[in-house]
This record gives sequence, C-alpha cells and structure tokens, in this order.
Amino acid sequence: MIIRIILSFNVTEFIGRFHPVLVHMPVGILMLAAIFIWLAKSERFESLRSAISISLFLGMLSAIASCVTGFLLSKTDSYEEALLFKHQWFAIATALISLVIYYLHLKNRETKWVAAVMVIFVMITGHLGGSITHGSDFLTKAFSSSGNSGNSKSIPNVQETNAFSTVIKPLLDAKCIACHGPNKQKGKLRFDEPGFISKGGEDGSVIVAGNAAESAMIKRILLPKDNKDHMPPTEKPQLSKQDIELLQWWITTGAKYDLKVKELPQTDHIKSILNSLESGKTDEQVVISYFPEQTVGKAPEVAVQQLRDRGIAIVPIAQNSNYLSANFVAVESFTGKDLQLLEPVKKQLIWLKLGNMGLTDVDLEAVGKLPNLRMLFLQNTKITDQGLPQLSNLSELQYLNLGGTKVTSKGVGQLKGLKNLRQLYLFQTAITGDDLDKLRQLFSNTIIDAGGYEVPKLVSDTTVLKAPIGK
Amino acid sequence: MSDNHHESFRLHSPEFNQLNKRLDRRNFLTKTSLGLGALALGSLIGNRVLGKVAGSVTHEPVTATLEEEILRAIPHFAPKAKRVVYLFMSGGPSQFETFDYKPKLAGMFGQPLPDSVRQGQRLTAMSANQSVFPMVPSAYQFSQHGESQTWISELLPHTAQVVDDLCIIKSIHSEAINHDPAITFFQTGNQLPGRPSIGSWVSYGLGSDNKNLPTFIVLVSKNAVKDQPLYSRLWGNGFLPSEHQGVQFRAGKDPVLFLDNPEGYDGKDRKEMLEYLSKLNTMQNEPYGDPEVQARISQYEMAYRMQTSVPEVMDTSDEPDEVFELYGPDSRDPGTYAANCILARKLLEKDVKFVQLYHQGWDHHGGLPAGMKKQCKDTDQATAALIKDLKRRGLLEDTLVIWGGEFGRTVYSQGKLQTNDYGRDHHPRCFTMWMAGAGVKPGISYGETDDFSYNIVKNPVHVHDFQATLMHLMGVDHERLTFRFQGRRYRLTDVQGNVVRDILS
Repeated sequence: MIIRIILSFNVTEFIGRFHPVLVHMPVGILMLAAIFIWLAKSERFESLRSAISISLFLGMLSAIASCVTGFLLSKTDSYEEALLFKHQWFAIATALISLVIYYLHLKNRETKWVAAVMVIFVMITGHLGGSITHGSDFLTKAFSSSGNSGNSKSIPNVQETNAFSTVIKPLLDAKCIACHGPNKQKGKLRFDEPGFISKGGEDGSVIVAGNAAESAMIKRILLPKDNKDHMPPTEKPQLSKQDIELLQWWITTGAKYDLKVKELPQTDHIKSILNSLESGKTDEQVVISYFPEQTVGKAPEVAVQQLRDRGIAIVPIAQNSNYLSANFVAVESFTGKDLQLLEPVKKQLIWLKLGNMGLTDVDLEAVGKLPNLRMLFLQNTKITDQGLPQLSNLSELQYLNLGGTKVTSKGVGQLKGLKNLRQLYLFQTAITGDDLDKLRQLFSNTIIDAGGYEVPKLVSDTTVLKAPIGK
Repeated sequence: MSDNHHESFRLHSPEFNQLNKRLDRRNFLTKTSLGLGALALGSLIGNRVLGKVAGSVTHEPVTATLEEEILRAIPHFAPKAKRVVYLFMSGGPSQFETFDYKPKLAGMFGQPLPDSVRQGQRLTAMSANQSVFPMVPSAYQFSQHGESQTWISELLPHTAQVVDDLCIIKSIHSEAINHDPAITFFQTGNQLPGRPSIGSWVSYGLGSDNKNLPTFIVLVSKNAVKDQPLYSRLWGNGFLPSEHQGVQFRAGKDPVLFLDNPEGYDGKDRKEMLEYLSKLNTMQNEPYGDPEVQARISQYEMAYRMQTSVPEVMDTSDEPDEVFELYGPDSRDPGTYAANCILARKLLEKDVKFVQLYHQGWDHHGGLPAGMKKQCKDTDQATAALIKDLKRRGLLEDTLVIWGGEFGRTVYSQGKLQTNDYGRDHHPRCFTMWMAGAGVKPGISYGETDDFSYNIVKNPVHVHDFQATLMHLMGVDHERLTFRFQGRRYRLTDVQGNVVRDILS
C-alpha cells in the first residue's frame, strides 16, 4: 500500500519545484569562480587559486542540477514558449561551458576567457529566467510608468482648446518621443515639433493630411503586434484604442496644428472620447473588459481543490491566466459557509455566479470581501436592500445581476459608488417607472436593464399572400 | 445488501497474477527516474532538434498525455461567450424572403438567369435539366427596422424588432449542395459522417459548469414539417469520448429516454449500486485503458444526477403567463419550437454549455410563398422572444445565439413559375445567418451578395470560418483543439477556417 502511494506521488513535479531554489547556486558560484580565476592572476590573490577547482566543480554540479529541475518544472505548467526555449538552451549552454571550463582547469589550461564567456551566459540565462517568472517588462517598468501619464490628466473644456497641443501632442510625448524626439531620432523621424512631424523621416512623410488610412504612421500603428514594423515596438508602452482613434481623427480632419477642437468635424464617437478627456477618465474606465490586464499570482491549489470537492465549478479564465471564475450552479444544499471557501482565492476570483442559490443578506458580507470581482450574478436569491451596502467596496465590479430579488431603488442607489459598473440587471424586481428613471440618472454610465420587453400583436402577423406578385 | 462493500476489489483469481505483475512493472518504469530520464531526453531531442531537422524520420511519441496537454491549455483566451444556443433551421431557409433584400429583382420577374451570373456553376439534379431558369423576386415586402435601418422581410416582424441586437452575415457559403452532406458539414466540419459535432467539440474542450446536466443538449421541434430527416449522428460525438455526444430532450413524459428507474424499483440504493459498478469498471479499465469505459462510468453518473435535474428543468409550470405571452401561443404546447425556446433559456440559465434547437421544414422546392410564411410564423416570435428574454435576464451578455440553415436557395424558380407560386432550389454559394449576443457586434450586416444573391461580392464567410469564429468566441483556438484518431490529428475546421474578426465586438 505504501509503495502505491509513493508511486502515485508525482515525483517529476516535486523535483521540478526545487528549480527556483537551485538556480541561484550556479549563478552565485560560477560568478564567484570566474572572479577567482581573474583575481588569482595577480600576486596579491595568489592564494585564491586553490579555491578555483572546488568552486568550479560545485558550480558545474549545481548548473546541471538546475537544468534538470528546470526542465521538469517546465513540463508541469505552461510558460511562454519563446522565452522558455531561449532560457532552456542558454541554461544548457551554460552548464556545458561550466563542464568545459572545469575540464580545462584540471588540465591546467588558460581559462580566463572561457570564464568571461561563461559569466555572460550566466547573466543572459538568469535574465531570461527572471523574465519568465516576473514578466519581460519587470526591469523596464521603472521607466515606463512615468511615461504613461499622457492621457490621464484632465483637460478642462476640451472643445475650446487647441486640438494639436492639448489632445495630440501629449499622446506623442507619452508614446513616441522617447525614440522620435530630441534625444533619439530613429528613422530620422521627430515628433516633438509640428515642423518635424510634417517633414517626416527617412522614408518620407509619415502623415497624409486628410487620409489616416494612407498615413505611414497609422499604418504601422495598426500592424499586428508581432509584425516587426509595428509601432510602438512591442516592448514599449502601446497606444490605446482611444489614442489611435484620436490620432486617426486628427489626421483625417487635415492634421491641422492651429485649430481648436471645436473647429474640427467630430463624429459622436470621437466627441464622446474627447469629452471623456475632460473628466480625466482613462481608457480602462471607458472600455468594458471583464478581464483584467494586470496579472495575478497562482491561487492556492488546496483551496481550489476544496471548492471543486464542494461541487463548485472553478475554472481558470484563460490559458496562462491565474484569474478564476466560480459557478455555484451545481452545488447542492448551499449554505453561507460555502462562501468562506472563496476567501483564499479572493485575489484571483473575477467572475462569480451565485444565481438561484438560497443566498441571504448575511452571506453578502463574504461576497463583499472579494475585491477583484468583475461579474457578479445574484439573480433569484433572497437578498434585500439590507445586504447591498456590503457590496459597495467591489470597486472593480462591471456586471451585476440582481434580477428576481427583493431589492428596491433605495438599496440599489447605495451602490452608486461603484464607478466601473457598466451593466446592471434588475429584471423581475419591484423597481419600475420613476424609481428606474431615478436610478438611471444616478448611474449615468451604467446600462440598466429591467426587462419590460413586449412582443406586441402586429398587423403583419396575419399577412395574406399578395397576388399576383411580380408585375 | 447495503453495508458490505468497503473492502476494495482484488483480482483474486490466479489467472490475473500475470497481469498484476505486468502492471506493477509498467507503473514502476513510468513513474521512476529511468522512465523520467528517457522522457526528458525524448522530448528534448525529439521535438526541438530532430523534429525540425529530420521531421520525416522521427515519429511523434504516442503519449496518453498529448490529449491532456491540449485540453489543459483551454480556454486559450478569455471567452466572450460562456454558452451557445444554436437555432438550426434545417432544410435551407430562403435568404430572399428573409434577410437578403434584392430590390432590383422586383423588375425581373420571369426573366431568365443571365449566364454571366451563373457562370456554369453546378446545380442540383432537381433543377439542372430545366430548360429555363426564370428569376423570381420575393413575394413579400421588405422594410427597414431599428437604429441600424436593416432591411427585414415582413415575414419576420418580431425578428425585425430585435434587429439591433443581431449581427447578420449575408455571405455565408458552403461546399455541399444537398441536405445530408451540407448539414453534416455544418455540424461537424466534414461532409462525410463520422466526425464530432460542434457541441461535442465544445463539450470535450471546455467541459461544463453544471455537472448535473449534459454539456450538449439537443431539442427538436415537433411542430415542423419533417420534409428532410434529422438523425442523431448530427449531434454525435464522432471519435471523441462518448460522454460528449449531444443528449436529446423530448417533449412529454419521458424527456430523456431510458432515464427513469425500471418499474417496481424504488431507486433508493441506486447511488450505492453505481459506486460499486464504477469501481468494477475502473478496475476493468486499468489493464485496457479504453476511454470508452471511462465514458461509460461518467454517463452512468450523469444519468443518475439527471434523474433529479431533468424533471426540474423541464418543468415550466412556475413560468409566469407573461413569459408564455412573450414566446407566443405555441409555447404552452411542449415540444413546439416556441416551447423549446423557453426550455433552451432555462437550460442556459442552468449553465448548459451548448444547446442546439432544430426546426425542420425549410426545404421549399415548390410552394415557397406559403411554406415560408408558415415556417416564419412558427419560429419568428419565439426567436425574438428568446433574444429579449436572455437580454433582460443579463444572459445575452455572455451567451451566443446563432440562427441559420445548411444552405440558401436559388434566385430562379424550380419547376414552373406561376404568378403567385414558385419554388427555389438549393444554393450553397451564398446565404444568410445571424449571430447575436456575447462577443459579436450588434446591429450590423456583414458581407454582400450580388443583385441576384447568387455570388458573394464582399467578405465571404465559409462554413469553416463560421466554426472558427464560434470556437473563438468560446475562448478556443480552433487550430489548437485537436484530437488524435486513426493516426492523425483532427479538428473541427479540418485544415481551414479563419476567425471573422470584423464581426467581433
């Protein structure tokens, strides 16, 4: 019996999980060995020579062990393939170099240049490994966050201001000027002064006034991200959809530098984007996305398993994402205690379906403590106005379904602090008529659907075939 | 007979000894480091190096985990649609009398179809020997509806009211020209029988949130003209494990066949019996590794849970009158299209992943004006009601609704053209479908046909493109959901299909 348990125990995964611990050893030891090799050249550190052999040996061993554990770990979870591929082969190369250098050292050959190469490989491998776990923009984040402020500042009375200097220039400053500005002029292109913009770069003009689709600038912005001509380069902060639409609008209306916003023709869509600049709202607040852009750590597996054992369908939102959705639809004899099971995954949980459960106001306390919820289904539950204030901390909430509950406009009104709420469903509640209108005023950015659809009897329901047809 | 089953099974009889030993060795080798090293080397060298340089020489290692790897990656991206309801209009509804408005045809009544339009394309055997191909405009008027000002036929007054929620694709085209291959093509991505249905792929790839109901449920209208047959292989699992096949729910006393307990059996020890049976099956499965045994175990368990969940979901007695009024008078008669639409909504509320309705009777080779009128009347109100009902319940946000048949119909009349009667033959080169709800742009028309709705002039959408888009909306990359069978990998879209990104919201 014991043997069975041992066999069924996942050895691969267990060994693989030592990788994050082990990797630091070859990095440290091999670097140190290289330092010893170089220092031992001088007479002052002559004594270090005797330490080279042992440190190279240990470094080599740990490098090989890291390779093996790393390989096993790579099989247990899905990582970004391209990065993983590079990391894996650089790591194997590093281990091979450490073997070679140890051999050379034993044969008393010159090793200092091999050591230098090895140091470079160790650094590259380490960086790639770090990129896999922390994200490839981990190092550069410190620079990019400051450059992101382009559109988040509010522009009071946007229609009266100069279109280029208040709407377009901040975009270029934030996303383009680092490479096409006073410091660097990649492709001999500069965006910091109107004169330079009109002049274009080495391939000629980048803007065709009045025709956004023909403008090289827009073309390259719209290329798919994996195209090498895509701008801004993939690793740099990208233009948002709204930024692109504003640029297109400005070019289509003639790429004028001296006109006010109100003097340029605007579609309703552009007008609404421009107006949103006035209140300083960023894109995230305009565009509905039930899926967060920032990443999150992995949910504790024990907790996930507990939820599954209870019959709660808990599913990752997508591949390579740790965000979770939970659905209670198949849970038998639900009690408020079941909600406590969600506590350990509160960071990951973004979609929660509790519809048609015997949920009461008391239980909403636990729901209110799930800060990242974006979609929440509470239809046909026993909740009332008393429970609703407990949801007012769910600042990320975008979709809330309260259909078929006893809530009233008074209770729902208490949720007006939910700035991101975009969809609110109140079908089969007591909220109708004036109450509904008041709520619609209160939640000006939210689509409130309270049903009330009818299928009226139509005259055409009794169509008679027209004859003769044709002529 | 209740309490003597704690002891686990042993293969006591001596003829199993040999087998037991073999098993132990296999387990030992695969789980210890020797097997591990071989595995590591194999996948390192095999896939990365040899696989690229000498791909023809190396054969892929047959691993049981290949399928697991594929499944583990799903959903490939965050899905817009969590569930699908597919209203299949079997028989090939005419696009001329529904969505594809062709005003220029009005003056061409009876004129022969120009050869420059047909370009010698094949016709079915039913009209290929006609000496003339007299063109016939729609017998019904069109008018514009909704904010999108979309042209809709007077036969669909209710659908016209929800037109701002629809994404109408007028440029679908198929490869098959007859019912059986065309409908099989739509459902399975291949004209020949034997591949899994779309719903089975979805079930296989995504599983279900609700373990008490099947992932893929099929409802067939009883009030339709049964002019062309439907067969259960259309919702079959093909080569996928059989728990992924569509389960047909029928109207009446026995919604799912063979689900009730036999007469004279109270069912009290059913659970225990099934647990015991599943132990036996598991034991049987260990040496053979046949996925069908696994499928059988899960089907028994599903059937047991369905004994309570199905009667509950089939019961529409607690639906308010207002709901029946919304769906129209037919909806009180179980088994009709309208009643099935209510049922579909209830199933979607229970998070059933894929619900497919079939409504037959659209095959109008003759008597089309009257036939279309009846068909539209039977389906129009309930279809529109389903959209509205899903919308007000907040379900349209993450449910995809699809309406369409297996092909369209010809601009010319089949048989003799009379002043108030005509027929239309099969036409796979262009026809209309619509999608609504999760992840598709509402209130748009996509694709255009020529003035005769004979050829596509803009944005063609192949059946495989439609299937790829459907999978995409469900969070699945259609190129990566594959299943290995008879030595090759299969997928729903075979080797084709592009996601129609223009219609995605």
